[in-house]
Amino acid sequence: MSAAWAMVRHRFASFAGTFVAVFLGVAVVAGSAALHLSSQPQAPARYDLAPVLITPPDPGTGDDRDRRSWTPAQATALATRLAELEGVTAAVPDPWFYVQRLESGRPTGDAQAALLDGHAWSSAALGGYRLTDGRAPTAPGEVVIGTGKDPREITTAIAAPDGKGSGSTTGPGQERAGGSTTDPGQERAGGRTTGSGQEQADGSTTGPGQGRADGGTNSAQAGNGDATTGASRSGDTPEARRSENGGSTSVRGEWQAAVAAGSVTVLTSAGPEEWRVTGTVDGPGFYVADREAARRASGVRVIGLTVSGDPQRVTDAAAAVVAAEGVVRAGAERDALEPNSVTRIRWIGAQLLIALVTLGAFATVFVVSSTCALSAAQRRRELGLLRAVGATPGQVRRMMYAETALIALIAGLLGAPAGMTAAPLLAGPMVSNGLEPAGFTVTWQPAALGGAVLLGLIVALGGVTAAARRASRIAPLDALREASADPRSMTPTRWVVGVLCGIGGGVLLAAMPSLPLETRSSAGLGAAMLLLSGAALLSPVLIVPLVRVVARPWRDTATGMLVREGTLTGVRRVASTAAPVLATVGLTVLLAGTVATIEVAAGIDETARYPAGNVLVPDGTPGLSAAAVTAQGAEPAFTTRLLITHGDMTAGRDATGRGDSLVLDRLSAAELGVRAGDGVTVRFADGAEARLPVQAVADETSVPQELVRRHDPDALTSMIMLDREAVPVPGAQSVAIHEFVMAEIDEEGRLIDLFLLALIGLSAGYTAIAVGNTLLMATAARHGEFRALRLAGAGTGQVLRVVAAEALLAVAAGAVLGGLVAVVSLAGVRAAVEDEIGRDIDLVLPWGATAAVTTACAALAVLAAAFPILRGRRSDS
Amino acid sequence: MTALDRVDARFEPGTFTAVMGPSGSGKSTLLHCAAGLDRLSGGEVVIDGVPVGGLTERALTRLRRARVGFVFQSFNLVPALTAAQNVALPLRLAGRRPEPGAVTTVLAEVGLAGREEHRPSELSGGQQQRVAIARALVSRPAVLFADEPTGALDAASGTAVLRLLREAVDRHRQTIVMVTHDPLAAATADRVLFLADGRVFDELPGAAGAERIALHIAHAQHTVVTR
Repeated sequence: MSAAWAMVRHRFASFAGTFVAVFLGVAVVAGSAALHLSSQPQAPARYDLAPVLITPPDPGTGDDRDRRSWTPAQATALATRLAELEGVTAAVPDPWFYVQRLESGRPTGDAQAALLDGHAWSSAALGGYRLTDGRAPTAPGEVVIGTGKDPREITTAIAAPDGKGSGSTTGPGQERAGGSTTDPGQERAGGRTTGSGQEQADGSTTGPGQGRADGGTNSAQAGNGDATTGASRSGDTPEARRSENGGSTSVRGEWQAAVAAGSVTVLTSAGPEEWRVTGTVDGPGFYVADREAARRASGVRVIGLTVSGDPQRVTDAAAAVVAAEGVVRAGAERDALEPNSVTRIRWIGAQLLIALVTLGAFATVFVVSSTCALSAAQRRRELGLLRAVGATPGQVRRMMYAETALIALIAGLLGAPAGMTAAPLLAGPMVSNGLEPAGFTVTWQPAALGGAVLLGLIVALGGVTAAARRASRIAPLDALREASADPRSMTPTRWVVGVLCGIGGGVLLAAMPSLPLETRSSAGLGAAMLLLSGAALLSPVLIVPLVRVVARPWRDTATGMLVREGTLTGVRRVASTAAPVLATVGLTVLLAGTVATIEVAAGIDETARYPAGNVLVPDGTPGLSAAAVTAQGAEPAFTTRLLITHGDMTAGRDATGRGDSLVLDRLSAAELGVRAGDGVTVRFADGAEARLPVQAVADETSVPQELVRRHDPDALTSMIMLDREAVPVPGAQSVAIHEFVMAEIDEEGRLIDLFLLALIGLSAGYTAIAVGNTLLMATAARHGEFRALRLAGAGTGQVLRVVAAEALLAVAAGAVLGGLVAVVSLAGVRAAVEDEIGRDIDLVLPWGATAAVTTACAALAVLAAAFPILRGRRSDS
Repeated sequence: MTALDRVDARFEPGTFTAVMGPSGSGKSTLLHCAAGLDRLSGGEVVIDGVPVGGLTERALTRLRRARVGFVFQSFNLVPALTAAQNVALPLRLAGRRPEPGAVTTVLAEVGLAGREEHRPSELSGGQQQRVAIARALVSRPAVLFADEPTGALDAASGTAVLRLLREAVDRHRQTIVMVTHDPLAAATADRVLFLADGRVFDELPGAAGAERIALHIAHAQHTVVTR
């Protein structure tokens, strides 16, 4: 309707809030979506010359760690058959193992990448790497060392100092895959308690989605498996990065020294070794004789084909040969071979991006709906007039939709390119914060652009719905009524929804103690969200008594009287200022408070779990070598991955090599329907199968150490307890238990704080828009009122004081309400956590963050309210 | 509270009726009910042969749009639209395209030729009211209701507006019902109804003159006060 355009042009000021909100929302969505879509898995550069890759079949547990290996014999047999195919120049099994260079007794390079730095010499062909000097390795103890870095890594090493090794695929038992999308809020709340460092101790870690009980002993886990812990587990810690930094700067000089010396000192799963350098190759990694690699690796997980003919024909022919023995991957499917550690970094980044998009969309709806409601109330006469001259209710509604759609479209068309332009600027910080893998670049994403504009449109129309419905009910006679007294601030719907939200939140909070442990923290968050929404909806009712109390001391002054009465008669206006403040302060107190409270609880819990003393933990390595453990006079406790089958049920589990029989954790036992004494089929990391009796069901899964040694030669030990002074060994350090746990928690905290900062920052930004816009519009509309005040003898200073005090009162009311609701919810969360860990914990209130958010809201509110007065003064005189 | 009580009024096509009465006598309510802007608690309003009572809000709006024109005391033009756009608004809302030149013709009839592109803020009060009249007349309604059309205008502008209304009746047989408290304005009508306490208590021909009308009002007010 052309009337819509005329309205928009004429009253752009009242649409400014919608415009800014949609602009920002679309920019955030477009930018996040562009970052997300740009972050696609990529096959390692190590396979650049192998267009067809074959992997073992997927057992269907939904976890990459469970993709079984072929035994060396199976792999060789399959490769032999594949090599005979027409167009295949070579079929190369690619066993890998853990190798890390030691320099003056210190491990170098990225710990996770080192898990797959050891290769068979023949696999160099898959990446097109050639001998640049010397000869190929043939005997045990001989090695060809890589002189080149992964090209991708080099580009990123320039962009960000922490270039991640291209080739960090999973070491058996080391990998903690992240694949399930958990509710971001839930994940943050649960994140702190989730067994940081526990897996180092007990070796049985959980993949996300498998839940807390998987860990067996992880009694303090409040949430589901989560991304944030995953990050530190993967070794993507500043520590790991620091050591890697040291490594990558020295890499070039070092190989020359090694070649000159003719030998190199490395750390493997067995311990420190001295290898003879027989040559150099122009790719990354360490290449040993094929037989040697097969002995060290835990089975073979990839066979690469180099081809001379059409890759598609080779793919089809290979599929026929491989049949059920594996999966043939060509083209984009090769990208599934991206190392899990890299995929998980992308996943963590995706969590943040998803959270930003969700929050951005919700906040936009919120701001648009409050702006539209206010502007509809202000335009009551105008809308009534339209009704009087013949507009049907439907036409009024459609006009409101048309206006908003127009604004949203303009805002979106400007916002999407803005977000898209900003996205590449975020790539660097995201990489350095461990949210995207090294080498990450943002590519042109038209889908993100179009999708964001569309989403902005939908979100804006969603936001205007309530206001448009209300506006369509305006009677034609309203055009004749001069008085613009505050219309009813509470509609029946608002009452009903508000009360329902409040009751729902209260019930959920009350029911928390009876809920299953793992759903409690999400229930707490859900309850808080419901209570916050309820408080926001009912704020017009709640604000009246609050204002009476707060304004009481000043009731005898002129300003006090004006503020009090102005607020009480303009409840709707005050409520629309207070509601966003309520939401943001509530969210801040709740999120930051939950994290802080659980952090303290986790610290208590972790330290309580371990007796006083020291532990031996990896130092710049992905795990402890066998030699590092035996040097302490202790038995290695290898971490390995088992695929356990009972009947037609199969489950993948982390297990510790310990004792002399198979013990199953309770969750697995329940899941598989196994009782002590039953027989199960166990498939080991190297692809070998054995039928073993389950001796017992206990806290965690363990398997005889001898079997791990035989079937997972590349396995490492996570950590061991020390009962005496540690013997210094490369790649390990002795730390006090408390210190170790706190370091782990701090490390997790870094990521969580980043998430919190981004989310609270975004919601605070939206609050700023909502508060600023509401006050700008409201004060501007009260022009006549202030004029009358001035005519009655008030100076501009006094008018300003009244306006500022009203704004502050509204912000204070919102902050107090939001804070109260959040504290109530927080107390519920604490009660649940206390119940869970069985001891009292302190409620930690994030005073700093709350004060910062509230102050920012207050400052902005005063500015926005005062601005129209100061501007109006000029036009009045 | 009863705003109107047993009022039975008929406005014949092509006549100009003025409704007078003291404040609170129900004259505005009568106008709003007759125009279908307000609902009756009892009784019936028939506009151009259509009983209004059972209509939905939408049907009522359509009826109003097609058969009823309305002129307010405070002009009530949409500030965002130009004079021509304001005039064309009822037609556009009805989904009709104004015939070429129709809007210009109507604006010319009210003496605003050449002001088509002006916005309300660029027009004087009298001019704005004339735009409002043009807007009410453009759809050739069966009846035009005017609520104190001269109330906010100076004497000269008021006279011009009244002359316009009179011309519409004489030239186009336009039916007009006008609420006013100005005896001079009422004198331009064919018939003057006097309302007090929600009832019609008397009527005079407009030709009786402003003075007699004024006397009648004074009498009515006196009646109300002494009762």
